[in-house]
Amino acid sequence: MKPFFAQIERDLLIAWQNRQDLGVMLVFFVIIIALFPLAIGANATVLDPLGVPVIWIAALLAILAGFDRLFAQDVRDGWLDQIALSQLGLGWYALAKAISHWLTAGIPLLIMTPLMAMMLNIPSQQWPPLLIALLIGSMGLTLLGVIGAALAEGARRGTALMALLILPLAVPLLIFGTLASQSDRGIISPHLMLLGAVFALLLALAPLVAASALEIGETETGL
Amino acid sequence: MTDNDHKKSVRKPAPSAADNCLHINQLSVHRGMALVISNLSHQQSAGDICCLTGPNGAGKSTLLRTIAGRLPAAGGDIKCALPIIYIGHTDGLSGAISGRENLAGWAKINGFSATENAIDTALSSFATNRFADLPVRVLSRGQRRRLALARLALAPANSLWLLDEPNAGLDQASSRILDEIVQKHATAGGMVLAATHLDFAAAAQPRSLHLPGLVT
Repeated sequence: MKPFFAQIERDLLIAWQNRQDLGVMLVFFVIIIALFPLAIGANATVLDPLGVPVIWIAALLAILAGFDRLFAQDVRDGWLDQIALSQLGLGWYALAKAISHWLTAGIPLLIMTPLMAMMLNIPSQQWPPLLIALLIGSMGLTLLGVIGAALAEGARRGTALMALLILPLAVPLLIFGTLASQSDRGIISPHLMLLGAVFALLLALAPLVAASALEIGETETGL
Repeated sequence: MTDNDHKKSVRKPAPSAADNCLHINQLSVHRGMALVISNLSHQQSAGDICCLTGPNGAGKSTLLRTIAGRLPAAGGDIKCALPIIYIGHTDGLSGAISGRENLAGWAKINGFSATENAIDTALSSFATNRFADLPVRVLSRGQRRRLALARLALAPANSLWLLDEPNAGLDQASSRILDEIVQKHATAGGMVLAATHLDFAAAAQPRSLHLPGLVT
């Protein structure tokens, strides 16, 4: 397990040095949310039911926007060569990448969410289900993003390709996530369980898919 | 033998003395549409230093990457049961963090000793202590090279070193240090295969493997 935590530690050190990226992501999140009321108009009967879906769409876009360079830097630096020869292996490497990315992007987003919920006038008894659903949903989206970043690695116009590959796959997370956030049957709703099931599936599959994508991509296009 | 078999043999070193060699048998490698290496055979045993020579584009880097398992072989096979240390064109250093953090991270993912002492000793092998705590992005080409090569000091004694242009960009003092470290590694029973255009470990009289150039 030591190599695994060493990879997370390395990514967190790098993220700390590049912490201005985090600010960009958070401002992006806030701006998307702020644009919806501006476009829809100040009509409370229309705006009120849109609050939770708007937060979800903004979170989806903000999380996935940070993914285009997830593996690119490691490939360019030659770090991936070192990983491939190490004890770590590409699957654990991909999982470590997902965890460190979620810690540096998902957590700040969750901390921002109550503020956004207040701005959109979402009643405070809806905050716990929203935050719990967004917690699981953001972890699921991160795993999807890792798959997308690995598949698009080395491709020209990788970012656009990644969005095309990943956004359709994010539909189940979005559907169960928004339903679980608006549940009136307490926090543990059936939709939250389905959201958890999608996350569990991604947790098992994403590292394997990302590892084989990196393996193929590197051996075909490497230096 | 498939690519997968090769990977397994690389990752799980067997301690028996008979396997203490690198065998390359009738190896062919494609890059894009072109056949870059064709029917190459090469044997190397413990204590051997070998220089890989040939014109640009002859497939020197390709051969090193194929041995490291980073490129698939189109034909033939590679047998090597030893741990591999590969230092390629790219140094494998992140520009955002310091050389010390880079080296400690590398030692940990490989399961080598990453105590403060071990890292300090490795850093001082190429006299990098003075700039080891600066972010790598502010360092010169040669300084990065020295930090990348400092990994060699942490490598196990029986490992196979694959070095791609190791002394490109190094000053004379560092080149001498590299030669000494390479010779010490060979004396201790390790193997070195280096692609280089410059003088490399000349005192040890390394063998030479010449790649003739493009095969069409």
